[in-house]
Amino acid sequence: MTRKPTIALFPEAGFGAGLNCVGIAQKLREQGANPVFICHPGFTGVFAEYGFKEYHLPQSLRASDEATEDYWQSFITTHLPHFKLNPIEQLETYVAPTWEAIVDTAISVEDDLEALLDRIKPDAILLDNVIMFPAVAKAGCPWVRIVSCAETELPDPKVPPYLSGLAPEAAKKCATFKKAYEKATRAAHKRYNEFRKKRGLPQLASGIFLEPSPNLNLLLAPSAIRYDREQQLADDSFVFLEGCVRQETHFEMPDFPATNGPLIYTSFGSLGAIDTDLIRRMIDVFATIPARFIVNAGGFEESYEHIPDNVHLGSWFPQPSVVADTALFIHHGGNNSFCEALFFGVPSLVMPYCWDGHDNAQRAEAKGVGRRVDRAGWSAKTLRAEIVALLEDGEMRTRLKETSKMMQANSGTDRAAREVLRALSEARCGETGTG
Amino acid sequence: MPETRRNTRQSHISLAKQILNVALERGMKPGDHLPEQAFSEVCGVSRTPIRSAFKLMEEKSILHWRQEEGYFLSVAAGGQAAKALRDLEEAEDSLAHRILSDRAERRIDEVQSVSALARRYGASRNAVLLALKILSQDGIVAQLPGRAWAFQPMIDSPKSIDESFDFRLTMEPQAILAPGFSLDIKRAGLLRTQAEEFLNADEERITHGGFRRIDNEFHVLIAQCSANRFVRGGLLVHHRLRKASRRGSSTPNFRLRQAMAEHLEILDSLERNQFDLAADQMVVHLRRSRIRRPEAANRGIPPLLRGPRA
Repeated sequence: MTRKPTIALFPEAGFGAGLNCVGIAQKLREQGANPVFICHPGFTGVFAEYGFKEYHLPQSLRASDEATEDYWQSFITTHLPHFKLNPIEQLETYVAPTWEAIVDTAISVEDDLEALLDRIKPDAILLDNVIMFPAVAKAGCPWVRIVSCAETELPDPKVPPYLSGLAPEAAKKCATFKKAYEKATRAAHKRYNEFRKKRGLPQLASGIFLEPSPNLNLLLAPSAIRYDREQQLADDSFVFLEGCVRQETHFEMPDFPATNGPLIYTSFGSLGAIDTDLIRRMIDVFATIPARFIVNAGGFEESYEHIPDNVHLGSWFPQPSVVADTALFIHHGGNNSFCEALFFGVPSLVMPYCWDGHDNAQRAEAKGVGRRVDRAGWSAKTLRAEIVALLEDGEMRTRLKETSKMMQANSGTDRAAREVLRALSEARCGETGTG
Repeated sequence: MPETRRNTRQSHISLAKQILNVALERGMKPGDHLPEQAFSEVCGVSRTPIRSAFKLMEEKSILHWRQEEGYFLSVAAGGQAAKALRDLEEAEDSLAHRILSDRAERRIDEVQSVSALARRYGASRNAVLLALKILSQDGIVAQLPGRAWAFQPMIDSPKSIDESFDFRLTMEPQAILAPGFSLDIKRAGLLRTQAEEFLNADEERITHGGFRRIDNEFHVLIAQCSANRFVRGGLLVHHRLRKASRRGSSTPNFRLRQAMAEHLEILDSLERNQFDLAADQMVVHLRRSRIRRPEAANRGIPPLLRGPRA
């Protein structure tokens, strides 16, 4: 009997990457592999609930609940105002400190990760993150990079800079942003390169924190929103998935006392939920629209009272199952959210607040699959008008129907699992010389 | 008398919901026959209330009746069945149900006056008072000095969910360990059948509503079989509050099945009179159910744990 290959999935400590990996792991399991998860402290149980074995980075890495709560309060106070800034203004205020924190994490988990990988002895590792962990590169097995951010994460002269929210045509602005990005991230990058050197990994170019995998790189970006590239990515090691939507539990529609209008889902991800004032203002607008709204309040449900009769608030939703039933998805441009909207042919109203949300917002509008609303620049009247316009846009709906049909016919999760097993098989053949 | 009639109707509505859930979990389709005897056994009641519930379901076009053949299902799984269940839920405690549902959805404030509720629901003061009395029997509202009524804390926030698990972790094993625990074998057998059907159901037939129903019956059974009256009373009130507080859930199907299998393991131990083992298994079951989802996390930012999963 052949042993099932053990595939260790190591997503960053966020729901986007984590649940994206759940989708791939579900298919790996179906295709005969043994997917397991390496979890950051605090993510205990998230993957076990989907039936996967979890290996945890040590609890000591996690601060006490009280310290984490304090950190969050401080984070909210510091960064909430930054979410209203434009991408270039966010570089110094939000992006640079975030990269510093990412580098800190990579350095702090390295020894424990190395020990954990030695214990798991995986046949392959799937890394869904924005930074390289030397322990992964040196684990002695093939590793796969999952680019679950926007396609801009892989630079190219014709692709706008990562996190810029710019159009490819805006060449001058792109050049300015790239320069500012490299300047803002220089200190973190220098520190990271020193760490890599100590761990025996080659230096990376300015602004780059994660190299492509020599084995396989999986990109979520569906063809409907892809960029033209000057340097084509090699077909054998770069695979574009048509999204990566996981199988989720059935969503039970709540009762709305007020109306039976179209269903609209609003979620800004777990981080975006901290902006309760913004969501409260939006709910006031929703109350004036003859539609039903499902709003993800994340961990802040207690901050809301007087919920209108056409709004249902919750702290967590099986998002793909909800999006499948909606007429419009209002989100922050997170790549999973955007891909899920495209997968189910649902228009996006993107209100970005940071990171690649800016890139996806630009792309949604440019490709006619959604509209962008500036987080700080809307009034009740303009938001209402945007929502109504999207609900009535028949052309966009037709376009999205085609996109959805194509994506659903080419399951990204299924393809990802197949490609991972193929890469593993090729790597083994390479080792034994039988390939 | 009116109260007795009302209670009888309530139990018929409740049974009708149970019958429809069982029919759907068994994968029954429109046109399938519903045998009285089989439903009497699975619901643990005699054929008379089953017949009354069937009749009620016929009134609501969920079943149809054929001379000398019996009752047949009229609705299909999915939208039709969901609507039928909603209709039944609306009929159940009608106004009390709507008030409770709106409070759970944070649509109405914690403190309410009868006149404000009468205005919101277009109902008479007497109807509102009756609804509040029904809710007060379950400890969900309490009358304040004067005319106001206050909703008691529901299990609807991370903190209250955490406290609920703490309470249950103390009380449910104790319910089993208190000397004199006596398992109701007949009801346990019915629950076992339902749990096994749930475990054997196809993925697309798994519903949170179906899980919640069996889960609630299981934990209520444990409380009712306890010999300690105070533990029993405390748990039963708490389970009623849990039932009232629970809304849509998003627990993945894997965990729902795992939790159902844990129920079966606990029943196995109880049937063998292995109470220490059953109590330990209950602790494991509750600890697994309370695993907390991080509420927010992003690049480089530590996850924040605000509360357990419902």
